Amino acid sequence: MTQTKIAVAFTLNGKKTVKDILPEQSALQVIRDELGMKGTKEGCGIGECGACTISVNGQAVNACLMFGVHLDGCRVMTVEGLAEEGRLHPVQEKFLEGHAVQCGFCTPGLLMSTHALLGENPAPDDDQIVQAISGNICRCTGYQQIFSSVRAACALSGQGSERENQDHKGERC
Amino acid sequence: MAAMTCIRPETLDEAVDFLHHHGPDTHILAGGTDLMVELRSGKHHRSYLLDISRIDALKTVQISDDRSRLHIGSGVTLTRINTLPLIRDHAPALHKCSFTFASRQIRNMATIGGNVAHASPCGDTIPPLVIHEAAAVVAGIDGSRTIPLLEMNKGAYQSALHPEDLVVTFILQARQPGFFDFQKIGRRKALATSRMSMAVMADKDDQGRISFMRFSLGACTPTPQRMHAVESLFTGRIPSVELMNQGAGLLAEKMVEITGRRPSITYKEPAVQGLFKRMIYPMVTWCRQ
Repeated sequence: MTQTKIAVAFTLNGKKTVKDILPEQSALQVIRDELGMKGTKEGCGIGECGACTISVNGQAVNACLMFGVHLDGCRVMTVEGLAEEGRLHPVQEKFLEGHAVQCGFCTPGLLMSTHALLGENPAPDDDQIVQAISGNICRCTGYQQIFSSVRAACALSGQGSERENQDHKGERC
Repeated sequence: MAAMTCIRPETLDEAVDFLHHHGPDTHILAGGTDLMVELRSGKHHRSYLLDISRIDALKTVQISDDRSRLHIGSGVTLTRINTLPLIRDHAPALHKCSFTFASRQIRNMATIGGNVAHASPCGDTIPPLVIHEAAAVVAGIDGSRTIPLLEMNKGAYQSALHPEDLVVTFILQARQPGFFDFQKIGRRKALATSRMSMAVMADKDDQGRISFMRFSLGACTPTPQRMHAVESLFTGRIPSVELMNQGAGLLAEKMVEITGRRPSITYKEPAVQGLFKRMIYPMVTWCRQ
């Protein structure tokens, strides 16, 4: 049998993207290896560390566990899509201000989990914040700075951000 | 890796027809969170990947007109189980299990059908489904048949499903119990595979006697278990701390009957009792209110 590639078409950080991929390729392989976007990290490769978290139709998912074919028709956002016109996203600003980054490997995933949380719930309470980022492991910071930074970002978003709301319309396909 | 072909049917009939012809050589892809790990481990290769995620018929959640049965499509994600009021109201222990199921990222993809069909002893949705006496409606080329959840697994990771089968929906005996809970023990709080899990629901009469109880133990036995002995012990009685302790002992005894005395039993025997007490103590208090 010949290697059967399958065409997937999706929006990646606002840009229409079409790619022929292998059925068994993960979304992470498509994004990193096929499209050369290296912001999304591979940590454990089995969905336990959250370093590969991306947003698909507004929902946080592990790109390492997601089949690339499931990207078809979806609105996908990676960490590269957060900043706009050279300006950091408010969540990124708060991570910087709050020293939520040490080695930085977990940061793209944590940013995307936070981004998805704010899209679903612009004013989460502390428990909801913990729930939303509990699928992201950080081995450096001890989590406190991350938690405070996410809380600071939530305080900002609670005041309403048009851009956040635009990013989260529609359901996962 | 050898070549694999991806098939993406839009309807149930197309999927069933494909499985009829190629079932044994096909991986069924729903949420993919277990399958991706399995494929990457290179354990077994099949020629086809049947992506059933586009079939809307698998994603419905409905309650029967008399509100006695809740139908949950096999393609319903854990996130939807977590957010749908119909499930929260009529299968509250299943709703509760969705809070601690893996992580947010996995819940957004993983499906209830995949959790059951994977036949892992530690599937978190299984004990809640068992207490609702759930059955799976399975589609095949000759029509559909129903398999009680307790008969879905022949052993750990050995599903009773045939390669040609597709789980369409789960039918639960809907109930809004006065008391319910789901508890599990894993290595850490989030993202942990359950080492032990349990689900309960109960109702009481005017005197505080247990009038109805369903209890299921998961993860620490190879196949899902409904613990009738524990249910009988409590039914008709007003639970006390003594009765709770007696129930915990009985549960441990029944677990050992199934698993035998394996090395892990040194941990599991006290752990199963501790988890049981954590779960049942609030029921004792509730019955005395």
